[in-house]
Amino acid sequence: MTDRILIIEDNAQNMYLMKFLLGKSGFDVVGADNGRSGIEMALTLRPAIVLLDIQLPGMDGYAVAAELRRHPELAHVPIVAVTSYAMAGDRESIMAAGATGYIEKPINPDTFVEEVGCYLHAAENRGE
Amino acid sequence: MFRQIADGKVDAGVTNQFFGAVNARRYNLMDTAVVFEPSSLFFATRKGKNRHILVAIDRHLHDLKKNADSIYYRTRKKWTSEELPFRIPTWFIAIASGIFVVLLVSAGGSLLLKRQVNARTFELRQINAEMEQRILARTAELADATEKARAADQVKSAFLATMSHELRTPLNSIIGFTGILLQGLAGPLNDEQRKQLEMVQSSSRHLLLLINDVLDISKIEAGQLQLSWSTFRLRDSIEQITKSMLPLAQKGNLALVVDISEDVGDIESDRRRLEQVILNLVNNAVKFTEHGQVRICVHRESDEYVIRVIDTGIGIRPEDVPQLFTPFHQIDSGITRKREGTGLGLSICLKVLDMLGGTIHVDTEWGRGSTFTVRIPEQRRTQS
Repeated sequence: MTDRILIIEDNAQNMYLMKFLLGKSGFDVVGADNGRSGIEMALTLRPAIVLLDIQLPGMDGYAVAAELRRHPELAHVPIVAVTSYAMAGDRESIMAAGATGYIEKPINPDTFVEEVGCYLHAAENRGE
Repeated sequence: MFRQIADGKVDAGVTNQFFGAVNARRYNLMDTAVVFEPSSLFFATRKGKNRHILVAIDRHLHDLKKNADSIYYRTRKKWTSEELPFRIPTWFIAIASGIFVVLLVSAGGSLLLKRQVNARTFELRQINAEMEQRILARTAELADATEKARAADQVKSAFLATMSHELRTPLNSIIGFTGILLQGLAGPLNDEQRKQLEMVQSSSRHLLLLINDVLDISKIEAGQLQLSWSTFRLRDSIEQITKSMLPLAQKGNLALVVDISEDVGDIESDRRRLEQVILNLVNNAVKFTEHGQVRICVHRESDEYVIRVIDTGIGIRPEDVPQLFTPFHQIDSGITRKREGTGLGLSICLKVLDMLGGTIHVDTEWGRGSTFTVRIPEQRRTQS
């Protein structure tokens, strides 16, 4: 079974970019353009990993990460923040909110899939 | 004596002033002014007669003057000692009144002076108080201005950080899609398409560098650059940097020489930031050198490491050296127009090194090359 990846990202171009790269590598990619629907999709579609933008309309990435962590059934799902937030403490804040990892934007198309794969494998190894 | 005068037996008598004044009235005699000042009294006699009497008087006087206890001196003493208290000489009065006047004038003068001094002191006190008031007001104004400037600075830094973030979002898709197209993931490309896409990629990467540098500067200036201290092998860092720079050096036909001394071991620093600094220096050296080599020499001097990046490049004009480490300063010479860069690299290096407790120094000769020397403490120094 192919791993399902949920992307929560409000920028359509970036969403398309990540979907394209991951889709080409054979992942089953689903996307949400806001936090609320992202959480709903996570609960119903049970992705293997969540890629989360921080700057989202309404409910921001910090709140989404915290909310996802409140559901025990999603406890093992890695949440990777993909964001261009780069000021001091941004990484620490999102990790504190419940994220597993952090990929800085702009993503490198040559290595992005590999990076996501690493987080996925790390989670699988922990789960076994 | 008074009776004899009154009876006309003698013409005049000499006596004490008071004794004379009292008795003269009784005998109805006239007194004349007593002359105290030394005056010459003469015994006179008819010419040619009584010469023997005069001689006798002279001899007697002469004898009397020889003897301190003689009647001459006793009389004189008695008279002078009684006379003195009552008869103040005019010259003395004149001098005394002169002195008195002088004293009076000086007393008056000093009183006047004192009044003037008091008035001036009061004035000075007032001026002083006024000055203090003004200084207080100015200090408050200055504090206010400083606060405003700091607030403005923070607004500026926040603005830059936000802008950097906003610029990165669209850049993410530009770099991403260019990469996808170049990888051939969206289908095959012809040579011209590939060439043009590579230009898009190179330009967008340059834009990203610029944004990253602006972000770094704004982070440092906003005091938001957090260092991540760890202990690592300096040799590893240098070798890694060299490896990453090798392709660019080879492209320019340059030799990249690394000379790490035996005593170079562990360092406690921020690995990412220190590597950023060294990479920047090596990158500059390679960019600004057309022939020859770039050497990276590392050795230890007591408790610090000395990292030298030596090139045989174009060098820096002496007049350009002072502005070398200021932001957005790229030396404008014919050859450097060709170079890519943000003009922020060295100013970031300086600031980062400052935070890491290190220093940077340049020795350069126009047309001959430059040596950038970084000194960095082997261990983190706790700031006092």
